Amino acid sequence: MTAQPMSTGTVGIVLVSHSAELAAGAAHLAAQVCGGTVTIVSAGGTDDGDLGTSAAKVARGIAEAEHGAGVVVLPDLGSAVLTVRAVLEDYGEAGSVMLADAPFVEGAVAATVTAAAGGDLKAVAAAAEEARHVRKL
Amino acid sequence: MSASCERAIVLAGDLHARPAGALAVAAGRFASAVSVTAGGHTADAKSVLGVMGLGATSGQNVTVAAAGPDAREAVAALIAILSEATKVGGLTDAVWVYGKRLVAGWVAC
Repeated sequence: MTAQPMSTGTVGIVLVSHSAELAAGAAHLAAQVCGGTVTIVSAGGTDDGDLGTSAAKVARGIAEAEHGAGVVVLPDLGSAVLTVRAVLEDYGEAGSVMLADAPFVEGAVAATVTAAAGGDLKAVAAAAEEARHVRKL
Repeated sequence: MSASCERAIVLAGDLHARPAGALAVAAGRFASAVSVTAGGHTADAKSVLGVMGLGATSGQNVTVAAAGPDAREAVAALIAILSEATKVGGLTDAVWVYGKRLVAGWVAC
């Protein structure tokens, strides 16, 4: 798990991938694009370091990314969604955490930039989800 | 009071991911609607993916337009960021402070 610099009151981002390297790389890229003012936590791979997802890593990631403005969680593929949902069921204050249905890299970058601009939880989640509709060519 | 403002600049470098990020972070802090136009395509300046999707390159003419209560400040800040952030090594901390310090002395409209 890698945490980027934080700023108080900014929405935090958790990137959940089957691959620890993919999550960490996406977090690094998003931090570079936003200027490093948002807490982006990568939660990739299983507890043993294999390909897969870890509820414990996701739960720690959400706690680490929360600075009072909420957390947006981006899963990469299928079962990452199941892992995040299982964590959120236990999380209690689910209202402060939003699961975004978005392309992983583009969603991470768009969400982070919106968080850096001071967007609230809904705006950050919406930015991630709108990434699906932005053409890159 | 609502206003509209528009200004163009010739890019000193390509509008890559990081300058696009600096631009979108800055734009997102203004209340006004802000757009960036390059090569006949227009993007919401608050959408980093939209700005990157313009594919604007060095030497290209880019127009920033804003409408809303802080339109002039928004255009001044974004033009300042475009002029600095696309230079080689130009993406300094000052640029990341969404152009506020760079706005001093700029009269956009």
